[in-house]
Amino acid sequence: MVSLVEMPPETLTQQVPRQNDRPVDETDGATVMIDVRDVDFAYGGNQVLHDVTLEIPPQAVTAFIGPSGCGKTTLLRCINRMNDLIENARIIQGAIYLGGTDINSPKVDVVDLRRRVGMVFQKSNPFPKSIYDNIAYGLRIAGIGKRSQVDEAVEKSLRGAALWDEVKDRLDEGALGLSGGQQQRLCIARALAVEPDVVLMDEPCSALDPIATAKIEELIHDLKKQYTIVIVTHNMQQAGRVSDYTGFFYLGRLIEFGTTSKIFTNPSERRTEDYITGRFG
Amino acid sequence: MTPPKHILGTFDEALSSLRNNVLMMAGLAERTLDRATKGLLERDDSLCTAAIADDEEIDQLEKQIDKDGIDVLLRFQPVASDLRRVVASMKLSTNIERIADQATNIARRARKLNRHPALPEVEIIIPIQAHAMTMFKDAIDAFIREDVDLGRAVVARDKDLDYMNKMANRKLTDKMGQDPKALRGYLNLIFISRCLERVGDHATNIAEDAVYAAAAEDIRHQTAAATT
Repeated sequence: MVSLVEMPPETLTQQVPRQNDRPVDETDGATVMIDVRDVDFAYGGNQVLHDVTLEIPPQAVTAFIGPSGCGKTTLLRCINRMNDLIENARIIQGAIYLGGTDINSPKVDVVDLRRRVGMVFQKSNPFPKSIYDNIAYGLRIAGIGKRSQVDEAVEKSLRGAALWDEVKDRLDEGALGLSGGQQQRLCIARALAVEPDVVLMDEPCSALDPIATAKIEELIHDLKKQYTIVIVTHNMQQAGRVSDYTGFFYLGRLIEFGTTSKIFTNPSERRTEDYITGRFG
Repeated sequence: MTPPKHILGTFDEALSSLRNNVLMMAGLAERTLDRATKGLLERDDSLCTAAIADDEEIDQLEKQIDKDGIDVLLRFQPVASDLRRVVASMKLSTNIERIADQATNIARRARKLNRHPALPEVEIIIPIQAHAMTMFKDAIDAFIREDVDLGRAVVARDKDLDYMNKMANRKLTDKMGQDPKALRGYLNLIFISRCLERVGDHATNIAEDAVYAAAAEDIRHQTAAATT
């Protein structure tokens, strides 16, 4: 593992090669994108993750499942340090590595980390601005000001989120006028605009109807060709449909991690079996 | 160990109903096979007729199990052991129905044989029937008790049944040459032996499904080298 203690703040950008920019042959053979090692996490004195270790593969969809309060969202939020925003919330022990870089190293620029690790939330949260500006906002923050470049990136992101055809003629209209499913895809497009390596999704379909859910799931399927996706879901069927790997959490511990096919046909752990078959929860 | 109940009581009820229908169907098929071979050995046409009549109820149960299985898949989206049990139940019902069809074939042939003087060679059928019936019962037991070892044992026994059928064919073919007047009777016995051999094949399928349902292990189409 590469130690980053002496490295400058911009190392994250250097250490985690952008998959979009990488030649195909460089991505081949990479087996771990996010390496979670022995993580204990607490909100103040309340420890909610216990000794969690797992390796999330690149360009695949990994689902976290488990009953409410099991720690799956907490772990998801650790991956882009969203928990930094909560007072007294901290990793007590262990580390999370993104492409070999310890994301909690003091040398890591957290803004850059969050650009590399985008996030989509349970409830769509577009800015009260135009569709165009929702995408362009992050680009401008990242220093891209040239109109033609922004235009290109907006179209690319909206196409990437399978939304372009629906909104291309009304980019100047308010984003809040879109349907719930479209707003959620807009949020995904916003995350994609800054070319992340990883997209975290925290129950992205829980507020959507079945058709909008199907569109997001189809989108997830397409996005994994280019991005590493980690999704938290309470919908077991959704985890079964969209993910390649599944981790089952219970009482802050990772009980089992494996291919989705294995977890949903023949889990190794009795607690996993009981949970996914609806015998407790 | 009995798994804990589902939070959804209706899910448990649906699975239980499916299991009970499989058990009922297996019980009926067993009775049909027993009646058919008794009808042959005891030269009792009424047993043969009863065996043939049972087939209708078994056919209906096959359809019911398929319908209930699809209903469980649709309503509860089972996973893991629940999914394996539902899929296995639906596959079992197909094999049990085929076993009942073989029993019906045996009963029809037995009625033909009963119209003519008894052939002493009918006794060749007794050990074959006993072996096939034991395989069938044990395969169902393996499924119900989730007994992987018993399931594997049933699969291994099929070779013996194949051998017994082969030997019976040889002996009955020889008799056909020696006693051409009873040729039709010997042909019927060869056919019955073949039906029982097919019962063993279906019992093997059931045992394989029982192993899959219990342990998520697919033991079908394994070569001799792989199984040893």
